Amino acid sequence: MNLLAIESATNLVGAALVTDGGSAAERSHQGGRMHAESLAPAIAEVCALSGLTVRDIDAIAVDIGPGLFTGLRVGVATAKALAQGLGLGVLAVSSLDILAAGAQEEAGPGGARTVVVVVDARRGEVFASQYHFDDAVAGIHQAVDPALARQAPPELVTPGGLAESLADRDRGPGESLLIVGDGAVRYRQLLAGVPAADLGLAEHLSSPSPVTLARLALRRMAAGAEPSAPSDLLPDYRREADARINWEQRIPPPGTPGHDRER
Amino acid sequence: MTPDPIPRIHRVLGIETSCDETAAAVVDGGAVIVSSIVSSQIDLHARYGGVVPELAGRAHVELLTPVLAEALEAAGCGTSGTGIDAIAVTYGPGLIGSLLVGVAEAKALALAWDVPFVGVNHLEAHLFASLLEQPDLGWPLVVLLVSGGHTLLVEVSGPGRYRLIGGTVDDAAGEAFDKVARFLGLGYPGGPAIDAIAVDGDPQAFAFPRAFMAEGYDFSFSGLKTSVVNTVRKHPDAATEDVAASFRQAVVDVLVAKARRAARDVGAKALCLAGGVAANSLLRQRVEQACAEDGIGAFLPTRALCTDNAAMVAAAGWWRLANVGASPLTLGADPNLRLVPTA
Ligand SMILES: [Zn+2]
Repeated sequence: MNLLAIESATNLVGAALVTDGGSAAERSHQGGRMHAESLAPAIAEVCALSGLTVRDIDAIAVDIGPGLFTGLRVGVATAKALAQGLGLGVLAVSSLDILAAGAQEEAGPGGARTVVVVVDARRGEVFASQYHFDDAVAGIHQAVDPALARQAPPELVTPGGLAESLADRDRGPGESLLIVGDGAVRYRQLLAGVPAADLGLAEHLSSPSPVTLARLALRRMAAGAEPSAPSDLLPDYRREADARINWEQRIPPPGTPGHDRER
Repeated sequence: MTPDPIPRIHRVLGIETSCDETAAAVVDGGAVIVSSIVSSQIDLHARYGGVVPELAGRAHVELLTPVLAEALEAAGCGTSGTGIDAIAVTYGPGLIGSLLVGVAEAKALALAWDVPFVGVNHLEAHLFASLLEQPDLGWPLVVLLVSGGHTLLVEVSGPGRYRLIGGTVDDAAGEAFDKVARFLGLGYPGGPAIDAIAVDGDPQAFAFPRAFMAEGYDFSFSGLKTSVVNTVRKHPDAATEDVAASFRQAVVDVLVAKARRAARDVGAKALCLAGGVAANSLLRQRVEQACAEDGIGAFLPTRALCTDNAAMVAAAGWWRLANVGASPLTLGADPNLRLVPTA
């Protein structure tokens, strides 16, 4: 299976292509909000690097967030249109799961047990999830799907609130909390105060990686996960839309004193 | 009159998501509309009295797949894009979060089908809308482009050749309609709401100011809007129909007077309306009357082509591909894109 992975949930935007032959190509761009500019060229490049054309893609996976709203829209719109144009489905994957899978890959077997993924939600908030990987569940060398290790759905919290709940958490003897994601980078000082916090991989795992997304998607599809139809695929915003209008309302709305409208 | 087409490019798929309409269309040879689907988000934004950018961006992502599927199906192209030779998309001006959705969609389809992709200026697309219904307007012509986001007077000396004559120094005409309708409690969008109630009102009831801005061709509507607010505060028992009719009359008087003068000054063969406000009944009536008096053509596109649609984007894209060439896949969205003079 030639699987294309599309990543655009944070400041990093890019694509990865994992082929039948087992080769993996990745192209990504970080910073400067270049989602719309960088994504399509990255897809064209990973196909070229793999010696394939876009028409050779037979599976698509996309990071549906939570993350940057405009970034997510670029990634999801791209995945939807590509899938529609090629007659394929799309496997939707959570940004937090991809980062947790990345932490698992980095730590290796017997490594991280508890991973806290923190994605910057702007406006002084973060999207966060805790994962507990138990070797006994899957055997020491087999990776556990982060979805099975996740302890609660992603939450929208303040960094202070997150630090407090992590500090209050029951810990096993010698257990450390591996904290990753761009929220961990931004609120490093605050989170470093949490007992047993390990921020050593925070910079390295600040954004979900396209190739980690591709590998996680392949594992899920091998385990029977069904891709969605392009029409059913939507970003996971996890925050209500900010209902502000693009022009300042300089005139008062009806019902203001002195204004009695005839009916 | 029309430029020689590149033989390979017949059918262009157009995509439009710059504001609150999600649209896709297939146009043949830059001139024949094969299919045109527009999904409006008016209901979504009505309770806010204007377009909410984040809601619009979210709605475009939801509507993109069904709108595209419908346009392709109606054109007999199927989801595989059979017979589509190129993709054209609006990349500005507009709301950044909305533009990005269409740009991403267009590039993905260009990759999937291995066809060229071209970014189109939304304002240029509006100028091409008239050519879809009346290809033999004669040059030069003056286009009055009036919508919720724009108020422009443009001299068009041929397809893709234009010069900006005038613009608004503050509110766009459609924006003025929206704000006054909101103030009068008439709902959204303001243009049709004011149009509907104004027919029962006296347009001479209030002498609202006409900002003719001396000799220039620029418009200003914020003083008029303030005057409406102050008048209603001073006369709380004024009939809303009279206020609406007098306001509409003031806006139309200024639009028509300036457009007419511009047409005369450039020796235009015709005056053409474009944009959502071009659906206003009084504006249409007055433009027709003025052009008859001046002995020039009047072109009033149908409502479907005045408001935002993707057929005009496909038509403009076809012309761009034939005369300028395709856009690179690195193209982004430009919310402040201007009309570059090419006359
Ligand atoms: Zn428009």
